[in-house]
Amino acid sequence: MNKNMSKFDPITLEILWRRLVSIVDEADASVARTAFSSLLRDAHDYTCMFTDSRGQELVQGTFCTPGQAGAMALGVKKVINSIPLEDYREGDVFIVNDPWLLAGHLNDVCVLSPIFFKGNPVAFTACVFHHSDIGGRVSSDNREVYEEGIYIPVTKLYDAGTLNESLLNMIRWNVRTPEEVTGDIRSQVAANHVCAQKIIEMMDEEKLLTLDDLADEIIGRTESSIRSAIKEIPDGIYGHEGIIEGAGKKQDIEIKLTVTVAGSDIHVDFDGTSDQVDWGVNVVYNFTYAYVFMAIKSAFDPDIPINEGAIRPIKMTAPEGSIINCSFPAAVAARMQVGHFMTEMVFNALAKATPDNIIAGSGGTPAQTNILYGKRADGKPWHTMIIRGGGMGASSRFDGHHCAIFPANGANTPVEILESDTPLIVEERGLVMDSGGPGKQRGGIGRQMVIRSPKGDENGENSPGRTTIAVQAGRFIYPPQGIFQGKDGACAQFLKNKDNADPSGLTFCDSGDKISFISAGGGGYGNPFDRDPRAVEQDVQYGYVSIERAKLDYGVIILPESLTLDMDATMKLRENK
Amino acid sequence: MEQETYRLGCDIGGTFTDFVLVNNSTGEFHTNKCLTTPSDPSDAVEQGILQMAESNPGFMDRVEEVIHGTTLVINAIIERKGAKTGLVTTRGFRDVLELGREIRYDAYDIFSEYPEPIVPRALRMEIDERITADSKILKNIDESQVIEVLEKFKKTGIESLAVCFINSYENPVNEKKIKEIIEREAPDLFLSTSFEVLPQIREYERTCTTAVNAYVKPITYRYLQKLTTRLESMGFDGKLFIMLSSGGITSVDTAREFPVRIIESGPTAAVIASQHYGKMFNIKDMFCFDMGGTTAKSCLIQKGHAGLVSTFEVGRVQRFKKGSGLPIQVPVVDLMEIGAGGGSIAKISRLGLLGVGPESAGADPGPACYALGGKNPTVTDADLVLGYLDPDFFLGGTMALDIELSKQAIQEKIADPLGTTMVEAAFGIHDLINETMAAAAKTHIAEKGGNPNMVTMSAFGGAGPVHAYGLARKIGAPGILVPPLAGVGSALGFFTAPVAFDLSRSHRVALDDADFAEVEQLFNELEQESANILEDAAKGQEIIFERTLLMRFKGQGAETDLVIQPRSFDSFSKQDIRDLFDKEYKRLYGRTYQETPVELVTFKVRASLPKRPFSIPRLKNSTGNIESCIKGQRQAFSIIQKDYIPFTVYDRSKLFPDARIPGPAIIEERESTIVMGEDAHARVDEFGFIWILFKGDK
Repeated sequence: MNKNMSKFDPITLEILWRRLVSIVDEADASVARTAFSSLLRDAHDYTCMFTDSRGQELVQGTFCTPGQAGAMALGVKKVINSIPLEDYREGDVFIVNDPWLLAGHLNDVCVLSPIFFKGNPVAFTACVFHHSDIGGRVSSDNREVYEEGIYIPVTKLYDAGTLNESLLNMIRWNVRTPEEVTGDIRSQVAANHVCAQKIIEMMDEEKLLTLDDLADEIIGRTESSIRSAIKEIPDGIYGHEGIIEGAGKKQDIEIKLTVTVAGSDIHVDFDGTSDQVDWGVNVVYNFTYAYVFMAIKSAFDPDIPINEGAIRPIKMTAPEGSIINCSFPAAVAARMQVGHFMTEMVFNALAKATPDNIIAGSGGTPAQTNILYGKRADGKPWHTMIIRGGGMGASSRFDGHHCAIFPANGANTPVEILESDTPLIVEERGLVMDSGGPGKQRGGIGRQMVIRSPKGDENGENSPGRTTIAVQAGRFIYPPQGIFQGKDGACAQFLKNKDNADPSGLTFCDSGDKISFISAGGGGYGNPFDRDPRAVEQDVQYGYVSIERAKLDYGVIILPESLTLDMDATMKLRENK
Repeated sequence: MEQETYRLGCDIGGTFTDFVLVNNSTGEFHTNKCLTTPSDPSDAVEQGILQMAESNPGFMDRVEEVIHGTTLVINAIIERKGAKTGLVTTRGFRDVLELGREIRYDAYDIFSEYPEPIVPRALRMEIDERITADSKILKNIDESQVIEVLEKFKKTGIESLAVCFINSYENPVNEKKIKEIIEREAPDLFLSTSFEVLPQIREYERTCTTAVNAYVKPITYRYLQKLTTRLESMGFDGKLFIMLSSGGITSVDTAREFPVRIIESGPTAAVIASQHYGKMFNIKDMFCFDMGGTTAKSCLIQKGHAGLVSTFEVGRVQRFKKGSGLPIQVPVVDLMEIGAGGGSIAKISRLGLLGVGPESAGADPGPACYALGGKNPTVTDADLVLGYLDPDFFLGGTMALDIELSKQAIQEKIADPLGTTMVEAAFGIHDLINETMAAAAKTHIAEKGGNPNMVTMSAFGGAGPVHAYGLARKIGAPGILVPPLAGVGSALGFFTAPVAFDLSRSHRVALDDADFAEVEQLFNELEQESANILEDAAKGQEIIFERTLLMRFKGQGAETDLVIQPRSFDSFSKQDIRDLFDKEYKRLYGRTYQETPVELVTFKVRASLPKRPFSIPRLKNSTGNIESCIKGQRQAFSIIQKDYIPFTVYDRSKLFPDARIPGPAIIEERESTIVMGEDAHARVDEFGFIWILFKGDK
């Protein structure tokens, strides 16, 4: 007999729930140990999750990337239900990177496996990894998805345990770094294996025959938690119109949205938003939804783990063929450049209604990504991808955190890893003075990274070949906005040998060239003249804010010799303002 | 007849300092417990020893070794009370420590807080130097620049300095050079260099570990200096050992140099003791629960082995969230510590709800009932009011508790604001701290793949046996084991720990290209180096070496650990090593890929001395009468009936093998009190361990 619902007393339920979370986190942790590309093992651009037998998301990894996670919750369910449950066989492993079905661009490859217990499929485990190469032309100015790499519809990678060699071979011949890509696909299979093993162990020990009852209970409780959080938002219709810069000379993109809060339901509608464009920033529905969801979840109910229940009260509509619900075969490779803004747009819409739940604009919106490749001095090819954050926006409670990828998530690639994977030398990675938007709460500081392609004579080798750099980023034109009289953060910059370079296409870097990637600071919150002068004093002592800007932006006088506050002069200056 | 010799274990906790003295010829124990003296912890050590000398005059002359564990280091980090510390980095990288890995540890929380870097930005300076990823020198150190930077540092008044250069794990030549200059130019500065503390790739983790080492080096140095002097002045001329986070023990010199390795010194001891008992009784899953005055530590021990991890976090800003603390990459026993102890303070939160901990009243002022001026109600106050503790028999009656002060504190600070009775409030405190510990315990057990319903709990610490019963009920553990001297049980753990030290070195080479004779030489060097560290302690004993090889597929970023048989490495064939890797990889991840090339990355050696014989003596009285063990009866609170009921009180020292005790009962010993309700019963074994089972079981 199955355990029925009433058998899960609150304590048992809590234990099982925690255990499920730790199972997926264990699968997640295995990736750092088995993956090949530094984008995965160091920068953590992947998400693990699993569902019940009906494809309902049950648990996602704690260290997830919200875009992948949110999109997977919708996509994996569709994939699972496209095949009758009785047709799955033990040992089946599916692979898919259809952007419209899953996480919005070809690089995000999903590997999905049914979990069998006592002969029956009881759950599905899935992971999406961002592969740093998926073939195609690496640039954000492609016109259609066909140019962006290899397109894998839902296909069996293993059929009842037997590897589909031809498929793997097909993938291998379509990418620049076949060893890395196949290694990372294997790492995905391994992560699913770890997850499946632990779930089977748990079901065995707990004498469960199905996870579905447990799923209903967990999903139900999660749904009521997020519903009660939404109820706290005053009912109403809240609108916002925002602009996202086009890369290079491309046209700006207009986003228009209304957020309707009614009881415990939220409906976000994007009517009036720009149409899809003929370059790579188009966003599929799933990915837009993921960052709308991120806004609601993070602002109102951050604590409870995410599953199918969390998304139920949040509805989203967007015109078909618009930039945030694009139609096949739009180019989508750089969908972060628009998609990541959705969280900020929802925050802006809700700012007046819930000023203490939101943050100002962030320099890590969108995530700044760079793909770099070339040849070493001995002719061996190399290829890597890095993601960079910026200063986070301030809130009514806190200064913005200095450097983070927000609303996406991920880590930096250590300098020592980057240098051992490439011939490049990193000259600097540090905080940028005066980049945080002034405010009562200051925006987080942006950071810069300077890399150099070495000359042959400096390390006794031949010079490495030309390095190609693709940029998918933003905030070069419009800075992260401050809020409630807070000021904007500093803009991002992309420099080659100290001159502005074009972030929209490819940039070439020869031996001796220096490239600077400077990410934006976060927006401030509240009037900077209300900031505690002692906090400004420390900002100056730490080199976050210059003496000049302390005076101009904050009305705070810092004595240059001692770097200490002149309180009297400050009071006088602030009075006259 | 030869004079009797002793070993002394001494564990400084946040609230109490525990002592166990073992007589080497008879195996007999003497114990003691006194309040910790936070301003100078060696005060309490001296006091405690003097107290023990009253019943055992002159014993310090005959102590062969003192084994010591301390929370000094971890407290200094958590409370940010370490030395003013500077950091020197490669030009361009002073913000490595502040940027960290940039990941948001809680993806969906926009208000997450992050730990402040251990060295503030104004105290981080850069110099010109550079090593490449493949270990070439790109830029040498300029001595005059170093001297300039040192001048600047002198003006800031720093006491300790950390150095971490980019790629120094590959080639430490520049770090070695700057070390020479600093030792010459600023001999008074405490110095920590990353190539000595942690020669491993990834600059943030290495810088952070090195900076934390520097941060606690001066206080550790001074403390150990003082302790050594004090012990000597009391007649001790044996060896002093310090417990490492990894479960081994080491010399004072090593602990002084690498204090970052003794961060979990105290908590580890109970785990090592549990490990010993787990093996002794062949228990599959044992859950070690050690609750002292300030924190509770827990660790799942599977088949007699506690996990060892190579990285952990200290000072998490959000208690249960991974990623919210500072990463420290040294070997450490895989335990979980939370702010829940006898001294945990109960208060009303902003939301008008009851909250307990993590703040502790510590030893001074301590709980209200200590009558040392503490006004806040604590867990100990609640335990006293609930009848679990005897006000006249705390620490064997050496410290009287004032129950009226407890009642008053609970009434005023909790019961009145909540509008409940004092007793309801007291039970609320007891129950809530158990709930907090249960949540942490369940997480820890689940993360290790265990099941709380199948673990045997082992209870340690002054408050452990008081709360074990309530905690076991909450997590559904079927049984509890209370070892002898549970109240000071962690100090007992010191005797079961081996003298051991771990060293590692990275050197990446493809298996196909590897010269096994060279690898053998590398292992040999590590063994030699670690043997030097153990030399003093070894006194001619044989040193045992264990080798671990870390390998991966070429292109991966992390390694799979392989235990290597202790024989000359060049006696292995390449295929032997390849098979070993494939087998382990397949076990962990389901499949392996024999055609994909692999590489050797890191070489690890653990050097240890043979385990010292240690056995628990059998109980003196082989039979007895249970009636004669009864001290009396007192009213204590029943968790089941939610009211006071009569509990029978037993004297643990009178118990005998196979004695049976039905619940509700309270079993008192000098350093702790065991509480069990009416749904449990206990049996005593021949060694004096008390096994508590819930009714309906076995």
